[in-house]
Amino acid sequence: MSEHDRTELGAYALGALEPAEVAAVDEHLATCAECRAELAELTEMKEFLGEVPPEAFLEGPPEGGDLLLQRTLREVREPQVEVPPKRRSRWLLIAAAFVVVAGALGGGVVLGRSTAPDPDQPVAGSKQVTTTDTTTGASMAATVEPRAGWSWVRVNVSGLKAGDQCEMVITDKSGARWVAGSWLVSEKAAKGGSAFGGGVLVPPDQVRSVEIRTVQGKHVVTATI
Amino acid sequence: MATVTDLTGAAVVWAPADPGIVRSVADNPGPHDAETLIRALYAEHGRSLLAYATRLTGDRAAAEDVVQETLLRAWKHADDLTSGRGSVRGWLLTVARNLVTDRARARAVRPTEVADVVDRPPVTGDHSESVVNTMVVMDALDKVSPEHREVLVQLYYRGRSVAEAAKELGVPPGTVKSRSYYALRALRAVMAGKAAEVSHE
Repeated sequence: MSEHDRTELGAYALGALEPAEVAAVDEHLATCAECRAELAELTEMKEFLGEVPPEAFLEGPPEGGDLLLQRTLREVREPQVEVPPKRRSRWLLIAAAFVVVAGALGGGVVLGRSTAPDPDQPVAGSKQVTTTDTTTGASMAATVEPRAGWSWVRVNVSGLKAGDQCEMVITDKSGARWVAGSWLVSEKAAKGGSAFGGGVLVPPDQVRSVEIRTVQGKHVVTATI
Repeated sequence: MATVTDLTGAAVVWAPADPGIVRSVADNPGPHDAETLIRALYAEHGRSLLAYATRLTGDRAAAEDVVQETLLRAWKHADDLTSGRGSVRGWLLTVARNLVTDRARARAVRPTEVADVVDRPPVTGDHSESVVNTMVVMDALDKVSPEHREVLVQLYYRGRSVAEAAKELGVPPGTVKSRSYYALRALRAVMAGKAAEVSHE
């Protein structure tokens, strides 16, 4: 680079030139204060770019299902959800804030939910397990809710195909197996996660595992409670 | 929330990543807004957020917790997102980074059990002394042309050489060089505009 060719300086500042090109620019910079000043400005911009992480340019939802989304939505729907003691203080704080904000956003939500029992809300004493089957790639969030002497089991499964015929099999601690219902996976559920719930005549403390499999007998995913 | 506005308002000009999402919340308050907002944010920014949080924490499970909490805070601060200040993604990434920092700090010095997540605006703390921050630069990048942004992403964020970027973008190497130069100049002009706003305040 014998004369001012400033357009080289951008790529130079960004470290994208070939070694030979770098050498040529260096040679010119050694003799040209004007270009050195220009380079200093460009380098400053490069440093600013460092404030933004490279991940900022990824688009779309995370790969591998939307269990995370479902979990987050559950937090929004159920501000009073039972939490493990360790994290209680934080979540109660956040939950309290949610009530305030939700109230401001749309008063009906919180009021409506606090006066009417919500069938979607897990009752006290529920157990939640999230698991992924590394072989089938399916993920599941399973919630076992206590009822009087029996259990209500809700699952949200991602990684199913539309048209899959699934059943939920509960194994109790004696090893007995109970089918707690079966369903067909819709196009939408295959994409966004398939939610299903079923009751089983096993007390909640006797539930050992929740398995999802196809009615044809193919294993999908098992959560050990 | 007023603090958020004060801190960022001076430096940031609104360049919505997706005005549709945000507007739907402001114009149409209703029972499903929280869910709509979170679903929309997840669909548009989820991958970016989770990848970032995973790199910072080195742990997928911890990263998922961070993303979840970030989305919940976005909902909580929906007013800020809708107030027309700052790019939504810049806001989310900044909150995620602060949460990771908070967690690391809480682990390092864990006093008695306290409510350790004091909700604070995303731009304060460790980064308050820096002249620019993620949100400001994201905004500046939103304001340069797509061609300029693209060449900066290729050369800087993806670490490509001029030759590689030329192939990727389907333009001659000379164009990559001149574009990267003008892109940095354009960025500087946008940032200078912001600086002018700040000093004017």
